[in-house]
Amino acid sequence: MAGIKLDGIRKAFGETPVLGTGPSGGIDLDIADGEFLTLVGPSGCGKSTLLRIIAGLEGQDAGDLSIGDRLVNTVRPAERNLAMVFQSYALYPHLTVAQNMAVPLKLRELSFSERLPLIGPLMAREKYRALMAQVAETAEVLKIEALLDRKPGQLSGGQRQRAALGRAMVRQPVAFLMDEPLSNLDAALRVHMRSELAELHRDLQATFIYVTHDQSEALTMSDRMAVMMGGEILQLDRPGLIYDDPADLRVAEFIGSPKINTLKGEVTSDGRVIAEGFSLQRRLPGARGAVSVGLRPEHLVVQDMAYEGSFTGRVVHAENLGSDVYLHLDLGTARLVVRTDPARAADLGIGATVNCAPLAGKAMVFGADNARLRFPEESAAGTETKTPAGTPPQAKVA
Amino acid sequence: MRRSYAHIWFVAPAIFLMVVILILPIVVAATLSFTDYSLGNESFNWIDWKNYDRIVSRSSFQKMFTATFTYVAVVVPLSVGLGLGAALLINSLTRFGDVYKTIYFLPVMAALLAMAIVWEFALHPTVGIINKTLAMGCGTWLESFGFFQRGCERNFPLWLGDKQYAIWTVSFIGVWQGFGFNMVLYLAGLTSVPRELYHAAAMDGAKTGWDRFRLVTWPMLGPTTVFVVTITCIRSFQVFDTVEAFYPQGGGPSKSVYVMMFAIFEKGIQQNLMGLGAAVTMIFLVFVLALTLIQRWLVERRVHYA
Repeated sequence: MAGIKLDGIRKAFGETPVLGTGPSGGIDLDIADGEFLTLVGPSGCGKSTLLRIIAGLEGQDAGDLSIGDRLVNTVRPAERNLAMVFQSYALYPHLTVAQNMAVPLKLRELSFSERLPLIGPLMAREKYRALMAQVAETAEVLKIEALLDRKPGQLSGGQRQRAALGRAMVRQPVAFLMDEPLSNLDAALRVHMRSELAELHRDLQATFIYVTHDQSEALTMSDRMAVMMGGEILQLDRPGLIYDDPADLRVAEFIGSPKINTLKGEVTSDGRVIAEGFSLQRRLPGARGAVSVGLRPEHLVVQDMAYEGSFTGRVVHAENLGSDVYLHLDLGTARLVVRTDPARAADLGIGATVNCAPLAGKAMVFGADNARLRFPEESAAGTETKTPAGTPPQAKVA
Repeated sequence: MRRSYAHIWFVAPAIFLMVVILILPIVVAATLSFTDYSLGNESFNWIDWKNYDRIVSRSSFQKMFTATFTYVAVVVPLSVGLGLGAALLINSLTRFGDVYKTIYFLPVMAALLAMAIVWEFALHPTVGIINKTLAMGCGTWLESFGFFQRGCERNFPLWLGDKQYAIWTVSFIGVWQGFGFNMVLYLAGLTSVPRELYHAAAMDGAKTGWDRFRLVTWPMLGPTTVFVVTITCIRSFQVFDTVEAFYPQGGGPSKSVYVMMFAIFEKGIQQNLMGLGAAVTMIFLVFVLALTLIQRWLVERRVHYA
């Protein structure tokens, strides 16, 4: 077990830069020993390429990569002692699950002659026995003992997923690299495997680097998540902080479902933030010009009446998720998504007029360059102070 | 309810064609193989198994089996192995792959009768380029090999004219002509091997090219190999044009290159012994049928991946 350190990693495919595109230089990342780090971002953001560079399947153009204290820039993937789970599982179709799981052990622990068919097992009977015992042990942890004699073609998606995981686990690697391992599973199984993977991580205490485009996987499993876009890490932090306190408008828009509402606004000379005829209570001294105001759907509260500073819009679409209902409101110049409870939404059909107001202290302001503009009250990350005024009484109750 | 006969109309054309151009000729050949029919004769006599009896007992037919099986045993492993090797090498190239593909595929496209003339010149005992090249080795360290010593003292082999060498020379030309085709089939097979399996192999600790070949390439090429081996076997059983081009007078030096197809041609067409020719044809058919059945069995049992 060891940490992994990336220092100024850059990569381009031909003329197209993929990683480290920004002016700040390449990708820097310090992954602690035993950490569950998720690389999340839309497709094409370079997250898979970064993982493959860590694995050694792809070479970086510039920058250093070290595993533990060892610089591995020129070390081949086979000698980096990492294990990888692929999106397509990449199980060897001609081998049974047990044989698949034994491959990494055989390739590492047996000599060339001991790996020969027929003669090999006779020559090193003891080694083969130890090896199969290791396979059986791993199979027990993953509860796939019954599948050991089957070939990948006879397994369901979830079973293949486990077999691939078993192949990665069977030798104790320095770190597990996972490239969207759950994206080929159906929704229910994905949610189930999410918790299982997180549990497995806790049990193994190993370093996990997990690539996904699914923000819910990133939010639910990781210790830290790195949001990548356009070949750069926009923000690296704990999942809760990424959601509550995004440093960039693109991060705020990518993380959170439904997407955060953004309203075009501006900052006046006295520091007031005005958007869609609504003015925030808090002041932004120093900043001027056009800004975007971000409001998450749960930070908007449906009200019975219009108040000073509330939004009024027509319901154009309603999404009922059972526990919550998301109302899509047309404000005329902009659209808002508002979360409310089913009881309240029951008499709000399509076309109904709805008033809603933002909760105090929740709005986030982003500058024209997408960077977050922090209010003086929320200077330190996560220690946001709430300004109680500006919200009508009913909103507080809700 | 009125019964519909539409289904019969749908399959009838296919069945009609299959019977007329496949089944019927086989039945006719099988029938003829039990007669002494010759083309042009008014009638024929049933002679039971006598044609087959002659094939089993006569020495010329024993030579036919020896020549055919030697040819198959040489050409199949060599042209499959060379085809696979060439495909792997070309596949690993980033540039000039197409050039090599074209070069190796040229013998497949070329008309073998024309090529046979070129080979005949090249293999000519005295003026041929091969023996002249070998003669250049005389007087050098190469003479320490027995083959060179004997060649320099007397003369180098007659190749096509020597009964010791003839079948091997013809087999060599068969390999030369056939492996380009296998290479193309293997190249197609290689493109369907998932890249991720190689990545998985690298992560699992496969360090050498041999590890990767053993773990991924060879097993994934299993279906291709079964197909290639079957096709090459059938093509080798069918070898005819080289033999006909080199030895139009019949089977090479002391019938050492008297392959099956040539025997059918000689008996059935040249000597007008239709019954005997048909009997050899039936034996040929049995071999090809057996090969096809083995291939089907292998495909279904061992190399089929879901």
